[in-house]
Amino acid sequence: MAVLAPPTTPAHEPAPLALPEQRIFVASQWQLMWWRFRKHRLAMVSSVIVIGFYLVVLGADFLAYADPDRSEAQRSLMPPQRVYFFDGWRFAPYVHGFKGARDPNTFKRVYVADPTQKVPVRFFAEGFEYRFLGLIPTTRHLIGVDRGRDASTTIFLLGTDLQGRDLWSRLMYGTRISLTIGLLGVTMSLVLGVVLGGLSGFYGGITDTIIQRTIEILRSIPTIPLWMGLAAALPREWTILQVYFAITIIISLLGWTELARVVRGRFLAMREEDFVVSARLVGCSQLRTIFVHMVPSFMSHIIAATTLALPAMIISETALSFLGLGLRPPAISWGVLLQQAQNVQTVAISPWLMLPAVPVIIAVMAFNFLGDGLRDAADPYGR
Amino acid sequence: MRKRTVRSRLTVALVAGVVSCVVVVGAVAQSKNAYIGKLEGPEVVTDPAKFPKTFKEAPQLAALVKAGKLPPVAERIGQDPLVLKPLKEIGKYGGTWRAGFTGPADFWNGFRCCSGPDHLMFWDYTGDKVVPNLAKGLEMQDGGKTWLLHLRRGMKWSDGKPFTADDFVFWYEDIYKNKDLVPTPSSAMAINGKQGSIEKVDTHTVRYRFPEPYFMFPDVLAGSTELAGQMWGYRALGGFAPAHYMKQFLPKYAGQAELDKKAKDAKFDSWVRLFVAQNDWARNPDLPVLSPWKTATPINTPTWTLERNPYSVFVDTAGNQLPYIDKVVLTLAENLEVLNLRAIAGEYDYASRHVDLGKLPVFIENQQKGNYKVHLDPGDYCDLIIKFNLNYDADPEIGKWFNTADFRRALSLGIDRAQINETFWLGTGTPGSVVPADHNKYNPGPQYRKLWSTLDVKKANEMLDKIGLSKKDAEGYRMRADGKGRLRIEIMTLGGQFVQYTQISEMIREQWKKIGIDLRVQEVERSLALKRTAANEQQLGAWNNDGSEHLFTFPLHVFPFEVDAVASSGPLYARWFQSGGTQGKEPEPRMKELMDKWRKAFGVPEKERIQLGKEVWKIAAEEVYIIGVVGQAPAAMGVRVVKNSMGNIPARMYNSPDGKTPGISRPATFFWKN
Repeated sequence: MAVLAPPTTPAHEPAPLALPEQRIFVASQWQLMWWRFRKHRLAMVSSVIVIGFYLVVLGADFLAYADPDRSEAQRSLMPPQRVYFFDGWRFAPYVHGFKGARDPNTFKRVYVADPTQKVPVRFFAEGFEYRFLGLIPTTRHLIGVDRGRDASTTIFLLGTDLQGRDLWSRLMYGTRISLTIGLLGVTMSLVLGVVLGGLSGFYGGITDTIIQRTIEILRSIPTIPLWMGLAAALPREWTILQVYFAITIIISLLGWTELARVVRGRFLAMREEDFVVSARLVGCSQLRTIFVHMVPSFMSHIIAATTLALPAMIISETALSFLGLGLRPPAISWGVLLQQAQNVQTVAISPWLMLPAVPVIIAVMAFNFLGDGLRDAADPYGR
Repeated sequence: MRKRTVRSRLTVALVAGVVSCVVVVGAVAQSKNAYIGKLEGPEVVTDPAKFPKTFKEAPQLAALVKAGKLPPVAERIGQDPLVLKPLKEIGKYGGTWRAGFTGPADFWNGFRCCSGPDHLMFWDYTGDKVVPNLAKGLEMQDGGKTWLLHLRRGMKWSDGKPFTADDFVFWYEDIYKNKDLVPTPSSAMAINGKQGSIEKVDTHTVRYRFPEPYFMFPDVLAGSTELAGQMWGYRALGGFAPAHYMKQFLPKYAGQAELDKKAKDAKFDSWVRLFVAQNDWARNPDLPVLSPWKTATPINTPTWTLERNPYSVFVDTAGNQLPYIDKVVLTLAENLEVLNLRAIAGEYDYASRHVDLGKLPVFIENQQKGNYKVHLDPGDYCDLIIKFNLNYDADPEIGKWFNTADFRRALSLGIDRAQINETFWLGTGTPGSVVPADHNKYNPGPQYRKLWSTLDVKKANEMLDKIGLSKKDAEGYRMRADGKGRLRIEIMTLGGQFVQYTQISEMIREQWKKIGIDLRVQEVERSLALKRTAANEQQLGAWNNDGSEHLFTFPLHVFPFEVDAVASSGPLYARWFQSGGTQGKEPEPRMKELMDKWRKAFGVPEKERIQLGKEVWKIAAEEVYIIGVVGQAPAAMGVRVVKNSMGNIPARMYNSPDGKTPGISRPATFFWKN
């Protein structure tokens, strides 16, 4: 895949070139990266998925149609409901009403759809009140039912959990928490990684030794037990918000080491480059040298490394919560949802409660492919 | 002709169809109780005329007798056997009973299945009548102040040494009165706070003397009290101990220096630790016992194995020495999920402990595959109670509200019990207050089931407004009266228990939003819970009141009775009660009245006692010191999974810790049909 043909003629004697090649010569670094990135099909698809996920993060309460904490025993463990899109030939999505009762012989709750009762599903319908993007108070949701009816008692796209809470709506809220934890965690480890890695690479000597040995020690400890230890040390009486931030910090405290290594390597390589030496000679302060001259030249690498670190963060949150050490109910995250599904009766009776595993897999794969594409793009001259 | 045949066949088919439809409809109509059978169980034969004259034994024991390693069976059992009439039939010897346990803290598991039970007296299968057990009989003298206990002649410990009155005197004089071993005297040995004493009359007769009449004494010997036998050996209690064996661990007989060295060699802090470890039925395979099975590999190993006791005094009506089943093997399950999975897969022969009610549909679905049958044994008690810590003082305002009766009542009215019953009990429970089932003899009357225990959000809000909690914040939660923000209360729950306390508490938190109460659910680990309760740091505590159906022998979830409970309604009150008023804090008048009535009942004849018991429950229901939520369901050890080929299994058992269920159905009479 030859992106760039080596120049065959001296620059001072411009030869007529084919148009695309001309473009390459005048293109900026970012443009080159974009072109390279576009060639990575999977990464392109993944980036759309990732954007989609973050749209869910922003609009979780808009996409949810039921209050995720509203429980009702009379709709405990409802299976996912079928949505009919066409009423006759007309596009008019509707769902059937249902009747539920407990079977006295099997002790299961049995739900029977009532085909005579059609409940139209409306778009931009009214539901519970929330603040869109945390700012605008509204009651509109993407889907819902007619005025006078409560969507949380009629639509169950992904079924309900034991307490009769709507799984779809909980999944939306869970996505919000799980993905922001990843993002926050990565941001924190990014800052730590760049600063510590930068110090290490720029100064070398004893600073380098101390930081590098610290990294080695941290990396030599198996992650899951270390997380478990740290997470178990969180005071039980902390509020959900405190635990949330603490978990983010715990995850990022270990995530920075890899990034710091990369940054340090780049610094070491770049320290003696002409433009760095010149910057120093003209009297730039050290901070200016680092942040204005050196960091931009390996920005692309940092972006790629960050993207690749994200799925690890998401997995760690999910794993910790799944083990009951991370977030706890009433917080909703993918890990919390999965933790509530880890029992025999879920596998045997209500397998739809395991659905939250699907977005975990998709998100992690999408981030990985995206990171892969970005890494390739970060080095547009590479083959 | 041919046509007619066809038609008649059709008629037959139609009739058959109609009949089967009727049968099916009938079955469905009845099926609410399809898994709840008739209460039944084996009986103790007390008439010596009906005793078997000759005895038989398990083949492997017969072989040992032949080899001269054991004395003959009649000699081992003695002159006065404990005769059990098996529920359905005389069984066969042999086989292994497989079950699961969850670790060294799960010692009740073995006590319940395999200890016999080794109480001196015990309950009949209805859990109501006291019958002789290890002791041949109990005789009241001196208007209830003196009790004569008659032992069985020729009865022996599992090592062949005789079981006599000396074992009682040894326990009383050398163990119970030793302050190092028993720092706080047991209330079971006391009447109205005054301690009794034990003395020997002759080899087979023991005399208990009390300063005041102690009419409850037979019940105390029958229930799971601290005089209940060797299960309390690990706390140096139990009412008797094998003198010939345990003497070697007492400084008086072994010498202080020598014993200290022994303790040090065995890596114990002190001789006391060594003593209680050696006196532990579940932990020490060498300890002489009286139960039908005895520990062969101890509870702190991955497989807790129990083998038949060759000197078992239990026999069936045909003279077969019990137990029928050779061996009980309890395998360690890493967690409850694993234990339940193994039970569903049919890897256990009999399981009820730790079986999760939430998995009932899965258990029922797999009956055929796992070759087992599901029975339900609902208890007579409440499966979820919420205790207010009346002594909470870390936050005086919260303490004040906990001591306000209308606050407690309003919180109780704010719980939607029907929702909780449907979600977590699969609709099998009865919502209501803390009082025991209607047929319990201490039940104060049907109206107390619903007293302050129905959902009434409006009334609850009115009551809270009235007591001075009318101010609310922006989110609708009530504000503290001292102006320090929102009134937040905490509930302490434990995970991994028979009832899902944490999940249910989370549902209650949602329900209490409607009455403006902000509840925080805190799940803690058991030892931390004990520590926090003892330190008076617990606010609300979730637990169940199993055992409270035997109000006088198991009162610890009715009022503050035990100092070290996982959830307490007042640790200082409990200390006050146990110390006879010298320590702790004096309770408020109504609570004191309740305690007085309870204590008084021990010294009065049964009729008056029943009246006092009803009054105790009345006060408990009126004052709502403890909120009752849902009960009388099979949540705690009430889902029973038994292999089809196991015999003498009752359709329904009396489910109670006092009856050590399944102990009350005498597992020694269970057997393998093939």
